[in-house]
Amino acid sequence: MKGYLKYFLGKTIWFLVTLVAAFILNFILPRLMPGDPVAAIVSRMAQGMSNASGVQAIYEQYTELFGTDQSMIQQFFLYVRNVFQGDFGFSFSQYPRTVADVLRSSIWWTVMLQFPAIIVGWLIGNTLGAMAAYRKGAFDKVLLPVSIFVSNLPAFGMAVILLVIFAVNLGWLPTSGGYGYDLIPSMSWTFFWSVFVHYQLPFWSIVLIAIGGQAIGMRSMSIYELNADYVKYSRFMGIKDSKIVGYVFRNAMLPQITGLALSIGTMVSGALVAEIIFSYPGLGSTILTAVLGQDYPLISATTLIITIMVLTANFLIEIIYGFLDPRIKAAQAD
Amino acid sequence: MSRPILEVRELTTKYITRFQEDIYAVDHVSLTVEEGKSLGIAGESGCGKSTLALSLMGYYFPPLHYSSGEIIIDGRNITGMDPDDVRRSILGKEVAYIPQAAMNALNPTQKVISFIEDVVRAHNPKASKQEIYELARDRFEMLGLPAEVLQKHPVELSGGMKQRTVIAVSVILGPKVLIADEPSSALDVTSQKMVIKMLRDMMESGFIKAMLFITHELPLLYNVTDDIMVMYAGQLVERAPAEKAVFDPLHPYSKGLMGSIIVPEEGLREHKLAAIPGTPPNLKNPPKGCRFAPRCRYVRPECTTLSVPLRRVEDERTYRCIIPEAELREIYAHEQQ
Repeated sequence: MKGYLKYFLGKTIWFLVTLVAAFILNFILPRLMPGDPVAAIVSRMAQGMSNASGVQAIYEQYTELFGTDQSMIQQFFLYVRNVFQGDFGFSFSQYPRTVADVLRSSIWWTVMLQFPAIIVGWLIGNTLGAMAAYRKGAFDKVLLPVSIFVSNLPAFGMAVILLVIFAVNLGWLPTSGGYGYDLIPSMSWTFFWSVFVHYQLPFWSIVLIAIGGQAIGMRSMSIYELNADYVKYSRFMGIKDSKIVGYVFRNAMLPQITGLALSIGTMVSGALVAEIIFSYPGLGSTILTAVLGQDYPLISATTLIITIMVLTANFLIEIIYGFLDPRIKAAQAD
Repeated sequence: MSRPILEVRELTTKYITRFQEDIYAVDHVSLTVEEGKSLGIAGESGCGKSTLALSLMGYYFPPLHYSSGEIIIDGRNITGMDPDDVRRSILGKEVAYIPQAAMNALNPTQKVISFIEDVVRAHNPKASKQEIYELARDRFEMLGLPAEVLQKHPVELSGGMKQRTVIAVSVILGPKVLIADEPSSALDVTSQKMVIKMLRDMMESGFIKAMLFITHELPLLYNVTDDIMVMYAGQLVERAPAEKAVFDPLHPYSKGLMGSIIVPEEGLREHKLAAIPGTPPNLKNPPKGCRFAPRCRYVRPECTTLSVPLRRVEDERTYRCIIPEAELREIYAHEQQ
């Protein structure tokens, strides 16, 4: 147990070091983009203004407001101080909204879309893969090529196919948005129904792709485990097949758990394509507008969220895995 | 003649390949092991000795299939029994199997005691956790294994300890017959010795009534078992008491097999190790007549046409060759000079 504690501490330190490095990069990288975001805002604000000194005044005002006139180092420390106070500053592109406000309004759309989609895709994929490995025959022969085909479709391809079939040709479902454009978010059944209908296409476009990849992985892991020596031995000790199948799938599932945790970690960035194609009001769309508008604080904040989620997911896998798999635990304690 | 514990009559089992071809890996094998006796099975790899071990359990799963013959354990014929009955009342209880690769024979994510619980409950669903623990602890202590092993995962055990644990788990339900398939071949000499001692102790104390020991290491068989049976291409080619099988083999294949072992003795350096030329036949279409004929140095024209029955010589000695015993001995004696 002492060895395990040491392992745990080591992992925690690495987690923090990576976090700091990622934090610094999150700050610097967007600011290395060529172009002047303030100029873009000012030109938008000053449309139709012919007074050059007026434009200049607006420009200076915004520069001061966003702090872009200070050196990068000064900006950085200011940023660190603010972040620790929970203040991510103003969004450049959606001024006068704050970054926190923008994130608050979009993050739940993403979480509610992605989280169930990942879980459903993972569960269906693993069940299908396990069944293919166990039942073999025609089921396997159909499932494997279909899974390979589906999982290799690019995310935007799947989204566009679904969009064309179900929204454009059949007209069953709306083409874009998180809810009807003529509705105002409220606690009414009309609104919920609209949200539900708009939810379907982005949801299934994510689920379908996840199913294929998970099914392939689970199938090969299960086949490997089904041929393991302990299966034969357990059979000869008179253990029922149903019980042995339980051993096999538990063991085959272990690597799949890593996959699940990782896709939950990369949830936000994974949502990008589906959200953009369906104009879903989530974080993915927010990132896109932030990048296009050179919105430094918003880019830094969204990438920080992604960083923290990926790191936390990885950290949790490493810790939980030790409890799930005694082989890993033994290796960790060394 | 004492009571036979394991009796096998003309057992034939086959592998059915993906292309629906039948491969008879065990071809009309008969054998008897009496109470308190052990039988060793030797042969090259691919001769069917491991398949014989699997076939003797009376429980078949693809690609191995039962074809014909009978298996009788302590007077009870287990062929033709419902597979679920075999599972519940024979496996582990009457016959126990010790697998070839004990390294991986235990589920890596399960504690030893938890697997034992599953084994016991597969035969007696009502057994309580406490009962099972006591049974396992007593059995482990009887076999000289520390009870702490029960609370460990396989990965925490050394190779030798894992193999001994597998043996202890195999005999948890007190089976009459033990079938050990190369239980010691992956171990170092010390662990090997411990495993062998464990098996011998179980035989000597009468805990196990009969044992089958399969290996390609002949010197080991000579030390462990009472009788030795040599298999070639799915068939029994010779059976004799251990000493005679090693030092006075009759069948040309056994002769070659025994000649290919290193015996540490005076003049070993100058002694040229004999090898049997060629490889075993493909069992998809075994050669007509004697299956060893293509590799045999004493082959005669009739070897490839006549089917060769087992010859019985002395009491407990049989071999499968068309050359009579006296003539064979003459040939061997002539060769020695």
